[in-house]
Amino acid sequence: MGKFFRRYWIPALLASELPGPECPPVRVKLLSERLLAWRDTQGRLALTDEFCAHRGVSLWFGRNEENGLRCPYHGWKYDHTGQCIEVPSEPTESGFCQKIKLASYPLVERGGVLWTYMGPAGEEPALPEWEFAMVPADRRFVTKRTQECNWLQALEGGIDSSHVSWLHRGDLTRDPLFKGARGNQYNLGDARPVFEVVESPGGLYIGARRNAEEGKYYWRITQWVMPSFTMIPPRGDHPVHGHFWIPIDDENCWAWSYDYKVTRSFTPEELSSMQAGKGIHVQYAPGTFRPNANKNNDYLMDREAQKRGETFSGISGIAMQDASLQESMGPVVDRTKENLVSTDNGIIMARHRLLRSVKAMIDKGVTPPGLAADHMRCRSAAVVLDHDQLFVEAARDALAIQPGLEHTTV
Amino acid sequence: MSSAHEARFRIDAPNSRPRQIAVIAIDAASEPWLRELQGVGLTHAHFFDGAELAADRLRLVDAIGGCDVVVMLATAGSDQGAVGVIGEECSRRRVSTTGLLYCPRGLTDDAVAASLRRMRPWMLMLVLASATGYAEDVLRSLRG
Repeated sequence: MGKFFRRYWIPALLASELPGPECPPVRVKLLSERLLAWRDTQGRLALTDEFCAHRGVSLWFGRNEENGLRCPYHGWKYDHTGQCIEVPSEPTESGFCQKIKLASYPLVERGGVLWTYMGPAGEEPALPEWEFAMVPADRRFVTKRTQECNWLQALEGGIDSSHVSWLHRGDLTRDPLFKGARGNQYNLGDARPVFEVVESPGGLYIGARRNAEEGKYYWRITQWVMPSFTMIPPRGDHPVHGHFWIPIDDENCWAWSYDYKVTRSFTPEELSSMQAGKGIHVQYAPGTFRPNANKNNDYLMDREAQKRGETFSGISGIAMQDASLQESMGPVVDRTKENLVSTDNGIIMARHRLLRSVKAMIDKGVTPPGLAADHMRCRSAAVVLDHDQLFVEAARDALAIQPGLEHTTV
Repeated sequence: MSSAHEARFRIDAPNSRPRQIAVIAIDAASEPWLRELQGVGLTHAHFFDGAELAADRLRLVDAIGGCDVVVMLATAGSDQGAVGVIGEECSRRRVSTTGLLYCPRGLTDDAVAASLRRMRPWMLMLVLASATGYAEDVLRSLRG
């Protein structure tokens, strides 16, 4: 899977973590590699090996100045591509420093996020064209948090619609970023959705179907684009949201969460809710990207709230309701002990698609799904359709970006 | 409590009995698919021709009665006339149903929609796939 992830542009940091030229470098671990992100004197972005080639010192201690990062131990200096440009102890004429180069990856800014590509040079795919990254800054809100489990079991939670009516039932009527949508009446009126899973060019459409008015179904259609992008169907006029799960290593991942609107800015209430950790966002342990509610404090479990029915699991907040359970599965869940049921077919299909795509890439060099720009220009949708309509066909326009129009929603 | 170290102390014993899965081809076009699955060595899957089951109530009751899950194979554009009889029996017995609808390339949306119209009333879960290879993964995931 590492080679698979490397084929894609993946979110690496928030742009705000590297606010300006010569700002302090930031340690970041991605795909089990220790890296250092920094911005040089001219504002050029750098993502390099964290450690000095001399004797393995962390360049986090480095001095970001004069178009390079200088190791404070013996003064070795590197440019933004990882090329060593100065070894003070060696004569310049020796050319020694030209033989030293740290691994480095391109780092680009789009949509308030710094994206990196860690794959073979010269095979970079199209730059990210996710809609949330293309709208004006006041129409999107992006956060990241650490999640202490393997990325795949987190993604599987993201594409498993069947848990929403259980785990998050309290939040449908309480969370300011979920409540009040007309479509919620269908959720609450039909607690047993039926699922249809359909292959999409980039991954899967996961359709959850509920009874609506006579002769009609209410469909909520989630997008999954490989390897780990999801978009949740909209509710009313609320911002649309979704996730990426990016491996830090085998036992930890970054959970990226975005919210956005297309044709309007967020209201003050929407923005303050997201900033306060409502919706799919969280409150943090100060100075970190670790959620304040975490496994060291039992996720601030509140049994009284559980008994009162405010939360189903006793954990507050949609994000941590998911993360707490996904982390409890273990750092890498043992799938040999699962007992899957019919409603898990979205997960089964996602695993199948992933494995098939990885094998095709490795064995035959087939380009994986999700790399093409039009795979990224997708949308989720909530629609009411006649009983006999194919949702993929009837909602075809709604499942792709429609410039100047909001998502199709109920 | 959810560390890798703690994971070593999870109970390592079976936590379920095997499920019996009835795999039914509900149209003639899906019979080769059914035969292919019969050959992959699934211990707890039992394979049936849907038209034969629909025509023989006793045999249908026997097939459904002994299983925990029913997986119906269908090929879009074919005649899924058997699905109503089989689906009704599954519904009567409260047996979970999953439909795997193979949609060959080049088929019209109307043909797919016609198959969905027949299948939707009887399936708790429907998967539309462009290849038949997915079915083995489903059956293995359901512990067939």
